[in-house]
Amino acid sequence: MATTVLTVEELKKLACETIEKRKKEIVGLAQQVLANPEAGFRETKTAQLVAQKFQELGIKHQGGLALTGLKGRIPGGAGPGPTVAVIGELDSLVVTEHPHADPETGAAHACGHHCQIGMMLGAAMGLLTPEVLSQLSGEIVPFAVPAEEFIEVEQRLEMREQGKLEFLGGKQELIRLGEFDDVDIAMMCHTASDMGERKFAMGGTSNGHVVKFVRYTGVGAHAGSMPHKGVNALNAASFAIQAINALRETHRADDTVRIHGIMTKGGEAVSAVPSDVRLEWRVRSSTPKMVVENSKAVDRCFRAGALAVGASVNITTIPGYLPMRHDTKLQEIFRRTAVDLLGERFTLVMPARRNRGGSTDMGDLSHLIPACHPYAAGATGPGHSKEYIITDYESAVIVPAKIMAMVVIDLLADGARRAKEIKANHRPLMTKQAYIKFQRERAEVTDFDGAA
Amino acid sequence: MPSKEDLKRRAAEIIDSKADELTALAKTILKNPEPGFREVKTAMLVAQQFGALGMQPRSGLGVTGVRADASGTSPGPTVAVLGELDSLIVSDHPHANPDTGAAHACGHHCQIAMMLGAAMALTNSDVLTSLAGRIAFMAVPAEEYIEIEFRNGLREQGKIEFLGGKAEFVRLGEFDDVHLAMMLHTTSNPAEKLMCISNTNNGTVAKRIQFIGRASHAGGAPHLGINALNAAMMAMTAINFNRETFRDEDSIRVHPIITKGGEAVSAVPADVRMETFVRGRTLEAIMDANAKVDRALKAGAMAVGAQVKIQTIPGYMPLQQNKAMAEIFRANAAVLVGEENVGYVDHRGGSTDMGDISHLMPVIHPYVGGATGLGHGATYVIEDYSLAVIKGAKALAYTVIDLLADYASQGNNIAGDQRPDMSIPEYLKFMRDLASEEVFDGA
Repeated sequence: MATTVLTVEELKKLACETIEKRKKEIVGLAQQVLANPEAGFRETKTAQLVAQKFQELGIKHQGGLALTGLKGRIPGGAGPGPTVAVIGELDSLVVTEHPHADPETGAAHACGHHCQIGMMLGAAMGLLTPEVLSQLSGEIVPFAVPAEEFIEVEQRLEMREQGKLEFLGGKQELIRLGEFDDVDIAMMCHTASDMGERKFAMGGTSNGHVVKFVRYTGVGAHAGSMPHKGVNALNAASFAIQAINALRETHRADDTVRIHGIMTKGGEAVSAVPSDVRLEWRVRSSTPKMVVENSKAVDRCFRAGALAVGASVNITTIPGYLPMRHDTKLQEIFRRTAVDLLGERFTLVMPARRNRGGSTDMGDLSHLIPACHPYAAGATGPGHSKEYIITDYESAVIVPAKIMAMVVIDLLADGARRAKEIKANHRPLMTKQAYIKFQRERAEVTDFDGAA
Repeated sequence: MPSKEDLKRRAAEIIDSKADELTALAKTILKNPEPGFREVKTAMLVAQQFGALGMQPRSGLGVTGVRADASGTSPGPTVAVLGELDSLIVSDHPHANPDTGAAHACGHHCQIAMMLGAAMALTNSDVLTSLAGRIAFMAVPAEEYIEIEFRNGLREQGKIEFLGGKAEFVRLGEFDDVHLAMMLHTTSNPAEKLMCISNTNNGTVAKRIQFIGRASHAGGAPHLGINALNAAMMAMTAINFNRETFRDEDSIRVHPIITKGGEAVSAVPADVRMETFVRGRTLEAIMDANAKVDRALKAGAMAVGAQVKIQTIPGYMPLQQNKAMAEIFRANAAVLVGEENVGYVDHRGGSTDMGDISHLMPVIHPYVGGATGLGHGATYVIEDYSLAVIKGAKALAYTVIDLLADYASQGNNIAGDQRPDMSIPEYLKFMRDLASEEVFDGA
């Protein structure tokens, strides 16, 4: 092998050529994940597939992190330096009606995470190009992380009780377990369906949130003959939902408040007054302060529901995600790379205040280390719905694989000069210890008896 | 001594001879409608009539009430024959006072006339000398529970304590010496036939509610406001969520109105007011529903973080009529209108302060036809005064004769058989304890 020192541009070209050559295989991996959707903390088949691929690629890895996560290690050939994680999220949603839903579990990739696994492996393949890797310092960590979607709260609470988890989001849990302690910079790309002609977008922010598991307890009774003996927990919950709706006029547009939920149990038999009604709820806002305020208001609505009919309510507040804060220097590298690959016309930079409304645990990580979470086109249909389909795998998998490979090259080539700069300039919003303390303090269980 | 039949025959002759005068009296009152605690002209007319019959009326009882007694010739119980002085306010009623909107849309004008007709017959010496005990003719004010603000004003001025006329009569001691009480109400319900006996009526408590939020510009700064109208809406929703727990047999009625719903559409409403009744068939059921309503009102406040001020005002007790007295009335009604024309209803959803009296002594509150239209509506008019007033007067007179003739043996039996639910002091304490005011901060 030639020992000539290649330019960064030449390294990028080589990495992209590798990805281009293995395109079919990379897209095939994404589609294989699509065909085997698994919801968070249950991604065993998907994790198995990633492990197998890591094996094939000769990537040393450790599995079973936060139940199903896999962390690979690709040391650069140019000596020590910072560690850059390229993250792919393993989990699917549950959208029973999705065309690619698992008929038994209802799990479906209605948020494009299968593409993330494809692009993460694709980027790794590009970076493993021997001429490329030999000139990179530090270490690349291809990281398959579980459970980004904050769903199936009751089941996860059960796992928590069994001691399998403390936090209910995958990256939160990995932070707690110390799996990001040795990571200096993190990146991932998410698919998007609302980008018009743009192929790649970055910037903006996301909502922080808390999650609620709410359980109303009433008194069961024969709904025909003894309704006066019952206390209707479904009416309590219905009232609470209406009360939440009555608050909406007090939400400021700037706060991007999103309050929404589902009823996971609404009664047992239509002939009985419902006495056990359960809700999973989500309170999102643009800042941690507004999350706290809205969380309090929503709790009051839940208590009002109990008071309305004399039921009791148990509210478990679960620390959710923090708003996304992109590292501006890292984002600038992404921007330049995307412009080089796609041209200005197909690259979008959103203003920092632009809040897409959703939430991601990448936000949590972004409070600790420099991170970036751009978007890749290729999807159609509203996210999280049965219509969210990847129609353009080139844009959804290959383009972001190339961009991430190139960004890693930018960071770790040249003695990892850029990565070191970013690391040195980064002022974390929280230390890991402060983060864990903050999240633990947000966890709360309250009881309210509306009949007392 | 004349038999009861002889006495009734004589009473009928007297009433028939005064038929035109009695109908004219009813119509005079119809044309001069006055709502509760304002029945000045009506009370004056009653006092004149009582005086003309040789009784010594006492006026100004409970602001406008009038009572006159006639004593029989031997000891015995006192039977009160009541007529209600007050009108409603139904401004589009054909007989409404154009200035005040007051109108007799519930037929109380006929009650006064029939009570006077009964008085004409029973105070006649041909009848009275054969009766034992005493008859207390009472023209009572303010049966309709309306104009709460005005009556609260009277209360603050110390003119009344309770907002219903009969409760005031009780408080003033006018029922201390009464053992049995009766009145006869008009009805327009054909199912109740020409005369009707009934068993129970709903009791009620009244509530005045104020939701206090925080005003702010509804367009510019809704996030700074606390919407009291939303609190009220949520409270009504919460009340509805409780309806499935109301038992059919308790006949619960909760029917709020909003008397103030905001000040300007461009401001977040900060002061919203509501009035409601909570009615039910038994005191226990009313108090249970009342507690649920209070909880629902608080839930409304809590829903949006507003405050709620809940004033609970004692209303009327559930009416439960004495079966033996009702049977005497039924038999007399059968004589007057024919057996097939006497109806029976077990329970009525409305409320009357005769319910309060029914907790203290045996009472009846039967019905006489002659009206058409919907009670309390613009269409409620008396079509047949000979039934509503003349036969009504006779039915009252006959029933008093049955109770007090023959040395009041029936009257004594009935008075002795029914243990009152409450003593008068217990009743007054209950009413006073029920009055409450509470402020709940939902934030």
